[in-house]
Amino acid sequence: MPRRHPVRGVPQRAKDKRRDNPGDAFRCVGCRLDVPFHAPGTAHRNHCPNCLTSLHVDGRIPGDRRARCRGRMVALSLSVRPDGEWMIIHSCLACDELSANRVAGDDNALVLLRMALRPFGARLPQRALLAL
Amino acid sequence: MTIKNPYLSMDTFTCVRCGLVVSRQAPEGRPRNHCPSCLHSQHTADTDCQSRMIPISIAVLRNGDWMLIHRCTRCDELTSNPISGDDNQLILVRMAVRPLAQPPFPLEAFGDL
Repeated sequence: MPRRHPVRGVPQRAKDKRRDNPGDAFRCVGCRLDVPFHAPGTAHRNHCPNCLTSLHVDGRIPGDRRARCRGRMVALSLSVRPDGEWMIIHSCLACDELSANRVAGDDNALVLLRMALRPFGARLPQRALLAL
Repeated sequence: MTIKNPYLSMDTFTCVRCGLVVSRQAPEGRPRNHCPSCLHSQHTADTDCQSRMIPISIAVLRNGDWMLIHRCTRCDELTSNPISGDDNQLILVRMAVRPLAQPPFPLEAFGDL
């Protein structure tokens, strides 16, 4: 499907240097995978490409490190922006905060597809079947 | 005090998008916070925002219940709320299939698995 806005107005920039020097990789809290910060398709990698787990460190702006929680955030559902971009909705296990993040180019496609099919897995509500 | 029959309840609110007047009590007896017709909500948790919240996705709990995720159009806050029995099922299913309609990767490769 063609993108409705093929060229973004402002290209994504990498964040400025952080005071704590994190190196070039972080370790996932879910599956302990070493993940490089460089991600294809996005300048803000914030979740593990293998298990999609994230950490509650950012506030409203990606990379601002405003959240004090530091809890583990698990992928809750998928949302689609009007331009066709998939967003992962993360929910924090410690404080129940929700956040939406774009998928990266190297995210595990099987896990993403399982999450997209989750509404149709166990039991579709009866009235939903009648509406179809 | 909760009234057993929600259709006899006089406690109503008006949808900020479609203007439908709905009771604050869902058929299951739970309090309702979004319009059953267009599924839009209002950001009442933040007292000085009070802006419109649009439904963006469906989350499925471990027990199989569906939750509706709203995003505030003014402050981008996200909330999740349980769906009620008289919600518009067409919009719910349309939101559930939307990721599969616009996949970022070809789905044909999964046929071999």
